[in-house]
Parts: sequence; C-alpha cells; structure tokens
Amino acid sequence: MSHHSIRPPWLALRILAWRVPEPDREYFIGDLLEAFAEEVSRAGAPHARRWFWRETVQALVARWPAAPDVGPDFSQEASVSFFNSARVALRSLVRAPALAALVVFTLGLGIGATTSVYSVARAALFGAPPYPQSERVALVWERDTDGSESNVGYFTFEDLSRDSVFESAAAMSYWTPTLSNGSETTRLAGQRVTWQFFDVLGVKPMLGRGFLPEEDKRGANRVVVLSYNLWRSRFGSDSSLVGREIQVNGLSYRVAGVMPPTFESLVAPGAELWGPLGYDATLSYACRSCRHLRMLGRLRDGVSPDMARQKLDLVHQRLKEQFPNEYGSTGTVLVSVHEFVVRKTRPALLALLAAVGLVALIACFNAANLLLSRALRREGEFALRVALGASQKQLTALLLAEGLLLSLAAGVVGSLLAVAGTNVVVTLAPEALPRLDQVRIDGGAILFSFGLALFTGLAASILPAYGLLRSGLHDSIRAGTRSVVGAGRHRLRQALVAAEVALAVMLVSGTSLLLGSVTRLLGVDAGFETRERLTMQLDLSGPAFNDSGTAERAWRGVLDAVRAVPGVTSAALASQIPLGGNYDGYGLHLEERAGNPAEDPSAQRYAVTPGYFDAMGIPLKAGRLFTDADRIGAPEVVLLNETAARQLYPDGNAIGKRLQVGGSRPYSTVVGIVGNTLHQSLDAEREMQVYLPSSQWGEEGGMTLVVHTTGRPESAIAPIRSAVQGTVPGIAISRVATLDRLMDNSTADRRFALALFAAFAGVALVLATAGLYGVLAATVVERTREIGVRTALGAPRGRILGLVVRQGMFVTGLGLVIGLFATWGSTRIISTLLFGIAASDPFVLAVVISSLGAAALLACALPAWRASRVDPVIALRDS
Amino acid sequence: MNHGLGEFEQLVLLALMRLEPEAYGVGIRDEIEKRTGRSVALGAVYTTLLRLEGKRLVATRLGEPTPQRGGRRKKYYRLLAAGRRELITSIDALRSMTRGLTPGLELR
Repeated sequence: MSHHSIRPPWLALRILAWRVPEPDREYFIGDLLEAFAEEVSRAGAPHARRWFWRETVQALVARWPAAPDVGPDFSQEASVSFFNSARVALRSLVRAPALAALVVFTLGLGIGATTSVYSVARAALFGAPPYPQSERVALVWERDTDGSESNVGYFTFEDLSRDSVFESAAAMSYWTPTLSNGSETTRLAGQRVTWQFFDVLGVKPMLGRGFLPEEDKRGANRVVVLSYNLWRSRFGSDSSLVGREIQVNGLSYRVAGVMPPTFESLVAPGAELWGPLGYDATLSYACRSCRHLRMLGRLRDGVSPDMARQKLDLVHQRLKEQFPNEYGSTGTVLVSVHEFVVRKTRPALLALLAAVGLVALIACFNAANLLLSRALRREGEFALRVALGASQKQLTALLLAEGLLLSLAAGVVGSLLAVAGTNVVVTLAPEALPRLDQVRIDGGAILFSFGLALFTGLAASILPAYGLLRSGLHDSIRAGTRSVVGAGRHRLRQALVAAEVALAVMLVSGTSLLLGSVTRLLGVDAGFETRERLTMQLDLSGPAFNDSGTAERAWRGVLDAVRAVPGVTSAALASQIPLGGNYDGYGLHLEERAGNPAEDPSAQRYAVTPGYFDAMGIPLKAGRLFTDADRIGAPEVVLLNETAARQLYPDGNAIGKRLQVGGSRPYSTVVGIVGNTLHQSLDAEREMQVYLPSSQWGEEGGMTLVVHTTGRPESAIAPIRSAVQGTVPGIAISRVATLDRLMDNSTADRRFALALFAAFAGVALVLATAGLYGVLAATVVERTREIGVRTALGAPRGRILGLVVRQGMFVTGLGLVIGLFATWGSTRIISTLLFGIAASDPFVLAVVISSLGAAALLACALPAWRASRVDPVIALRDS
Repeated sequence: MNHGLGEFEQLVLLALMRLEPEAYGVGIRDEIEKRTGRSVALGAVYTTLLRLEGKRLVATRLGEPTPQRGGRRKKYYRLLAAGRRELITSIDALRSMTRGLTPGLELR
C-alpha cells in the first residue's frame, strides 16, 4: 500500500500528457503508472523515478504515429463498433426528428394494422378447432339435386356411420330447452346428440361422464351434460351437481357431467347443454326422408377425406337403389369442422387481409420514399464523411444502424397500435365471426411485421447509399449540396409514389364498392316494416302445457296482456319471423298435381296468429288475411306470398286452390296472397313462403312475439316482459330485439368490412398524399435555381405553378390508371361481399377519381405555391 | 505499400501472441525484456503498437481501469489474421536466409 503514496515526478507526467497524442495517452500513461509501481517495489523509489524520467524522454523523442482511424473500425471488436455506429446513427436521426418520427409512425401504422387484422383473422381462419386431431372430425350431409347440403334422416345416419370410414359418428339436432332454477326460467341453446358425440370430438367431461349407450334410448334420455359456463353461472360451480337433478323443459334431468372450460361445440355455437337424442326405429320422425339431423364423424386413422367421400357416396348409391322413393339426393357431402366454421366468413376475412396487406405495402413504400429523400439530401454529408476517411464499410454500417433503429422503433410503435387496433377490430366485428373470443395479439404476426419493418427500413436506408457511393461522392462534394439534381435521381421516388397511389386506388375502390353494396342492401325492400317493431322468443315448457288447450289459452292470454300494454298498437305470434335466424321449410303438395312427393317444391312455413301481417307490416296483395274465425274445426286455410302464388299457379288463379303443407296434413284452401319478405338475409333470393293460422296448425311450445309500438320500441321491452311473465309464470323469454337490430345484423359482416376498408383507404390516401407531397417539395427545393432563372427570364407565375402541378398530376395519373386496372383484376377477392354493384360502376370511378384528385391537389398546392414564390434574386445568389 | 515488418515489430507481435488475450503495453514490454534480456522503453512498445494498429495488423479492446493505473483503462491487443500472415512471412524470410548458415550462427 505504501508504494501508492510514492508518485512519479509530476513534471514528467505533464510532459507525457502534452507529448503523447490523445487516443493513446490514457492507456500509455496507465501502463507507465503500473510499471512505475512495479519498479518502486522491485528497486525502490529513486530508481523508479529515474526509470520514469528515462521513459518520458524516450516518449518525447519517439515518433508517435497519427491515430490509426477517425471513425469506428468494424474489423475490431464487433460490439464496441456496433454501439458506436448506433450512437452515430441515433445522433443523425435526432438531428432530423420530424422525418424519423414520420418514418416510425408510417411503418408502425402498417405493422399495427396488419398485426391487428391478422390476429383477428388468424383465430377465425387458421385456428385449428380445439379437438384432438381435429382434421379428422367432419360433418356429413346428403347432397340435394341443386347441390346444396341437406340434413340426414336417422336411418341414413345409421347406415352411413356403420360403414368403416368413421372411428365413431354422432347425429345431432338443435335443442333449445328452458332451464329453471328457483323462479328464474331461461331458454338455452343446446344440442340433442347421440351418445358418441363427445367421443367424436375427442373431449372428455371435466366432471362426471359423457352419455352411455343405454341413455340414448327413447324414454331413458333425461340426462344432460352442462357447459362449464352454464355450470359456473347458474350453479355456482357446485361440484356436487353431478348426479343431481335439474329442471329442464319443466322436467327433471340428471346431470351426467360438466365439460371443461376450453370446450366449445363449433358445430352448434353457443350450445350450453347437451342431452341424448334418444331415437329408435319406431319413431315416426326417424324415417329416411325425415332429414332433420346433422351428422358428425371422426374419420378412422389413415382414412383421407377423399377416401371417405368415395366410400360414403358408394353407401349412398346403394341406399338410393334400395329406397328410390326416399332418396332424391345425389350423393353425400363431407366437410371438415374447420372448413365448416370458416367457410362463411373466409371471403370477408381474406378480403380484409388483402386490404391490410395493401396498407402495409403503402406504408413500406412511403417509408422507403422518406428515407430515400433523406439519403438524397445527405449526399453532401456522405461525401464529407468519405473525405474524412470513412470507408464504404463504415458508411454502410452507419446507414444499417439507422435503418435498424428506425425499424425497431417502428416495430414497437406498431405493436402498441396492434394491441389497440385489435380491440377496435374485435369491437367492430360481427358476432357471427367465428371464435372471436379467441382473438389474441399474435406473436407470429408481430414477429412478421417486425421483419417487414426491418426489411423495409434496411432496404430503404441501404439502397440509396449504394447508388451514391457508386456514382462517386467526390463529384458531389465538389458540386456542393445544392447541386442540380438530374431527373433520374427522382425516378425511383416517383415510381414509389405512383405505386402508393395505385395501391390507394385499390383500397378506395374496394371501399366504394362496399359502400355501394351496403347502401344498396339497406335500400332493399325486406317486405316488412322494421321501425318501432319489437320481437322476442317465448317458450312454454314443461308438462303443465302438454295439453294443447292449456297452451292455446296461455298464448291467447299472452297476446291479450301484451296488447293491453300502453304504446302497443298491435301484437302477434309466429312460429318464425324473417331474419330471425330460423329456417323452417316444408314440402308443398298441390291438389291438382299428382306425382312423386320427393319432387314437391318446398317453402318457408309460418304458423301465425291473425294479427301477424298487421304487426309486421306485410301487405295483402289479393284475397283476405286470417281472421279469428280461422280456427280448429273451421275450413283449413293458407296464405301464399307472391312468389309462391306465381310459381305454383303460373296462370294467376291461386285463390281458391287447395294444397297440402307437409306430408300428413289435410288440404288447405288458398284464401289470399301477401307480399314477399326476405327470410334468411337481405341479399337472399325471393323464395316461396306459406302462412297458416297457428290455431289450425296446432300449438307450438315456442313462438316469436312481434309487437308494433308507438314511439321507441326499446321503452316497451320492460312492460311487455312483465305483462308476459305476469300472465304465464315460468314462461321463458329470450332473443329480445328490435326488428331494426335484426336488420342491422343482416348487414353486419359487410358493414364490418366497410368500416375497416374505409379506415384503410383513409390511411392509404393520407400516406399517398404525403408521399406525393414529399416528392414535389423536394423537386421544388432542388429546382429553385432553375425556377429562379425562368422567373428572371419572365416566365409567368402560372407556368411555374403548372410545372409542379403537371409533375404531380403525372405521377397521380400513372398510379390511378395502374390502380384501376389492378382493381378490375382483383374484384374477385371481395366479390362475395358485393351486392348489386360491379367494379366498373360509375360510382366507384367517381369516388376514386374525386378522392385521388383531391389528394393530388392537396399534395401539389404547397410545393406549387412555394415554387411560384421563388425570388430569382435570392435563388441565384444562393447558388 | 508493404515493406515487411521491422525487427522490433516482430518482437512486439511475437510477445503479443504469447500473451493473448491479455496482451497489453506493460505485459509486452516485460515479455520482450524477459526473453531477449534487453531493456525496452514503454514508449517504443507503444509507438510500435500504434504503427501496427495503423497497418491493421492488430486489433484492440478496452480493459478495466485499476487503482495502480490512476483509474486509467488498459488497452488490450490482439493479433489479426493479416498480422499473423505478416509475421509468418517475415519469419519465413528470416528462416530461409539463415538456412545453411547454421554452423556460423551457432557461436552466438
């Protein structure tokens, strides 16, 4: 320790500090001090001092070479040098913060939008169903003569599942039972299934067990399996529930099991309760032509879907030969569960993915454009760096580091936007979008976007530098930073902007196509009134209503009670209503037409109370409507819609004709013709519809109540509810909605796509405008001298303006033409979302041209104004 | 441009090789002193190292400051591939020049 107090001669130290050049002074003197300490301990302080002086003198006379390099040397330790150039890069970015921010924001926007939409689409499109080896689980239908899928009868299910393509198979029907506990009765979505159902899906109950074969028998099937959510929300997660009885449809059902929280029945979304189907051969509705069951199967290991299709078709062929009257169908259809789930929404989602891809591309082009302009402006700086000894490698490293920093920042911004954006997309999404609850910010998508940003950032920062280095920077430094830049320099930038405009055109046309579709769709006459109309599903359940007299009295009581509610002008009950999500088709057999019942046409069937047409605002076209006199015992009557009247009786004499609705019923006389309604959706075809008095049809346990109110229908919900429940205790009320709301749902997917397309198109327009502005502004700055000369020579202001505007319009026009062609080529992608409009529609053209024109003018305005303001004196002096 | 390595440069590079990866000024000087028995000024070592660095034959990295050094950092040296090549060339030249002269040189 004492050695430390012995210090080397201070004068020598001062001389060294003065003599030894900066970069190595620290290490050299450090070494000397270390060696001095050694000398002290080895030979004593005086000797060490002498030694130190000797060293100092030698250092004084030595030839100290200049420091080996100015900048960082990349052949040396990589980490040190990387941080070095990152530091330099950061400095140069901070010096132009607006541009850096713009690049980061642009790229971030692209990343965020892509990631959001992908995250939503991935769950819906690419998420494997949550069943083990789910690719083997498939739905089976019979194929109708028109190619559509038809449900199967019970015997058909048995015959198809007996064949060896399935490891196990189950038949399913929809079930909407009511569940009562305490005073609360609710209607649930559920499924009646054959006992193999859970085995087919490959999911075991979390508590208890699935169904046993002996429970899937007629009369023995009062057993249920609950969803996790139902178990939690209605039974407080009571684990002793298994084995106990609960009240379903007013009867006691034993709880066999509870499914795990991850389980969902994709073939019946929202199902919360399952019971055994309990069919046997003696049931009248177990027949081959009683096609009301859906079939689900798990393919045997090694059986491909194609092999299965072939084998099932063979079985079907055999059945057809055996029972020619029962099978009008032409074959079978096998669709995997995954395909079944995504096929409805796939077109919309793919269109959105394509759209967001365009946005991402525009963002990349824009960022590239910005970086390119920056690189062009930095020619002088690069030249100076090279002149000061920076190697090409170092310059490249600097640009790399800049690109990297920008990309990373953009990645972070993009990820944040993605989180926010995904929530927005989920909020906007139609409820029908499959697996919306499983939307997660996708790590892969973020990684992909980061990669995209990285590539764009790096490519855009490196490429221009390469051009510069090759073209010889020395010319550039000689010419000064205000060099007259040749037109070729800007060709790349103009191409980028034209590409941006073209992509923006595609998005704007897509948006206008969707806008046109939605407007047209909302303009469609659904055939009934939606304003001030309210609807709810009512269900009577339990043995108390088994006798039809009781049920009829209950329904009449409900109607009377609802009509007495203030603000209600009319009310009616119907077995189903348009846009209500039901599909109840029946075969029609005309008295005058003999022939094979399998070839009878089918129509939507509505059993309604007399006030229905009034409450729904469906107009009478001919004949009369139902009255209270059309009851049991009176002559059976039926109403046709215009389509049915025209198709069944082309001669126009439908009224008075007799026809049979369904197989085993008496003939009914047509007494009137009413207007068409759109049943399934607003874009559906007009189909045949028949109406029967509900009292003659026979009462149904569940009916839809339709109420016409004065004023806001929402305010009538509560009083109607209590009126209904006051009249029939234990009645289940569900699916309360205004007809306006049902109408909205019918356009939901298109409005979802429209909202996103509009947002994307807006972003695209802003980016394209910014890109155009950037190019024009840069040209004006670079041509200041030329413009000055022209002005000095007497060019009128208008011509100078024209100079800039012409350039802007040229680039825009180019992009416009390319974009329109691309749109016409790619309309197919959104064709399923379109309704009554084509890409060549003048509306689309008008929207595109006006919005792009406005954007181009906006981009031109400021640069053109600046150009016209150029003072020749200043312009010429500065150069 | 290349004039080969000077004799002292060779010594510094060889010492550096022996000490890698802990080669720094004092260590190199000590190593040369120990093996050749001649006294070497640190300044000479440093100017040589700087020259070698300029020729891109060695690379450097910064070390930790220590109290004996008055809080100053060390600069460590490492032989680059180019340096190794130069060294081999020089020593090869020396070897080929000495070949056959061995008896005459044994006296030393």
